[in-house]
Amino acid sequence: MSSDFKPNIVGFLCNWCSYAGADLAGSSKMEVKPYLSVIRVMCSSRINSNLVLTALLWGADGVLIAGCHPGDCHYEQGNYYARRRFALLKKIMETLKLEPDRLQLSWVSASEGKRYAEVVNKFSDEITKMGPNPIHKNPKI
Amino acid sequence: MNSTGKEKKEKTATGKILSVEGDLRKTIKGLLKKLLKNNTLDAVLVPMKAPETESYAWVLLEDETLLDAADPLPPVMTVQGGRALDSITKQGDVYLKIGALMRPCEIRAAVELYKLNQVKLEHIHLISIDCPGALPLKEYMDNPIKSKENFEKIVQKGDKNEALRPVCQICQHFSLLSSPSTEETKASSSPDTENHSAADLHIGFFGGNGKKLCLTASTSKGKDLLEKLELSQDDSLEYWKAAGEKIRQSALKNRESFNKEWQEKIGGIENFTTALDACINCHNCMRVCPVCYCQQCYFDSKILENSPETYLQRAQERGSLRFPLDTLLFHLGRMSHMVLSCVSCGACEDACPMSVPVSQIFSMVGDQTQKSFQYVPGTDRNVPLPLQSFLKDEFCEVEIPCECDQSLLGKA
Repeated sequence: MSSDFKPNIVGFLCNWCSYAGADLAGSSKMEVKPYLSVIRVMCSSRINSNLVLTALLWGADGVLIAGCHPGDCHYEQGNYYARRRFALLKKIMETLKLEPDRLQLSWVSASEGKRYAEVVNKFSDEITKMGPNPIHKNPKI
Repeated sequence: MNSTGKEKKEKTATGKILSVEGDLRKTIKGLLKKLLKNNTLDAVLVPMKAPETESYAWVLLEDETLLDAADPLPPVMTVQGGRALDSITKQGDVYLKIGALMRPCEIRAAVELYKLNQVKLEHIHLISIDCPGALPLKEYMDNPIKSKENFEKIVQKGDKNEALRPVCQICQHFSLLSSPSTEETKASSSPDTENHSAADLHIGFFGGNGKKLCLTASTSKGKDLLEKLELSQDDSLEYWKAAGEKIRQSALKNRESFNKEWQEKIGGIENFTTALDACINCHNCMRVCPVCYCQQCYFDSKILENSPETYLQRAQERGSLRFPLDTLLFHLGRMSHMVLSCVSCGACEDACPMSVPVSQIFSMVGDQTQKSFQYVPGTDRNVPLPLQSFLKDEFCEVEIPCECDQSLLGKA
């Protein structure tokens, strides 16, 4: 795989925690890899599996979902539901051997700028290592 | 004959026995007739063969004399019973007592729909029946007479042979008398034993050698029906359970090899797209699916329609763009929406004009995902749908911990 591969990662960040965490990482001048396209959602439970699948099938090499830590959801329970949905999608991808590692869920609070940077950098490295999403070159999709 | 007390669950320990007089179907219809006659039920929902053709449909009957034309054991499943029930009660509860005689997978679909608030069950009496399986719709329609002969043999013997649809050959929920235990499936169940089983009343005939029927009630509604049937002969269920269990164990073995086979066959993007190659995006599978209940499906909506520029751009990026568009998105998206409720009824595959093995793919994925959620769809009415409930401490393995807070997530 060519070393100049620049992954295209879609990040769904919850408005109350992770988006603010990303903001903090930025204003604290932390180094964050530039491959993540951020989509702000009101809650991680807003994310329907279709959104994730559409991203993966239409051009993303990876999808990151980030929300408040369990117990800290702005809407009290949203992230618990989000985790179940994510677990289901991941299990489906696993069963069908569709590279489940391209999906990731993480909790980042508004004060965790450092954690945000780490999560994004680590995921970016992993996706870079995995290479381009084979779905995109499959003529049958 | 009475031997209660042997089993822990006293409620299911005994059943009522009925001798088959002449014909199995006739005896079963006789039971429904009796319930209609003594006003225990106001109407029954039963499968019936069209008088002039070989197709089957559901009929809601109030007149017991019309029951003669009904067929409680149809060779095919043209319309999923859960769907039929859904049409009746979608707009609200009925105030007539309806008895619905359906296959266990149809009952299970109805229970899933009940949990989704799409079927009201307050006045519905769910009556399940030992299911010999169903023949593939297309093969049946090609040669109905011969198919029926084959099907009769299956009914007599009770074995899940290769003429049946693939999902029927691996089905373990064909009888309430021998369905998998909660320990076996590691499924959660509610403490309320009343609604443990999907159906109110079950009619079993596997093990009766065509001479006897065994009726068991698992809810108060079912007990009421059983009482009104005035059957006098009690029998221990052990013998009946064993007969079903034998069939179930061989189905279980089939299921294991089935899962392995399909996982190999469709695992990976190349294989998966090959399996779905023939799909013409007609969405028939979604339309006939009993648990695909959404009034407006995401995949029928305008949301996936884009400007020509978008398509050109996508084609440019990928090198090519296939039409019908987004078949993979449709199947994966639908799967992620309903697969935890999938009862492996096989309606989707019967409806597919291109013979895509949809039900086999969904059944395999359904089995795996349901296990990871410890959920068996359509059994216990009081166990909430997996995506409508959660535990605070679960699925930690799907979250990615971070080096900076190992101590925080030390438990994971």
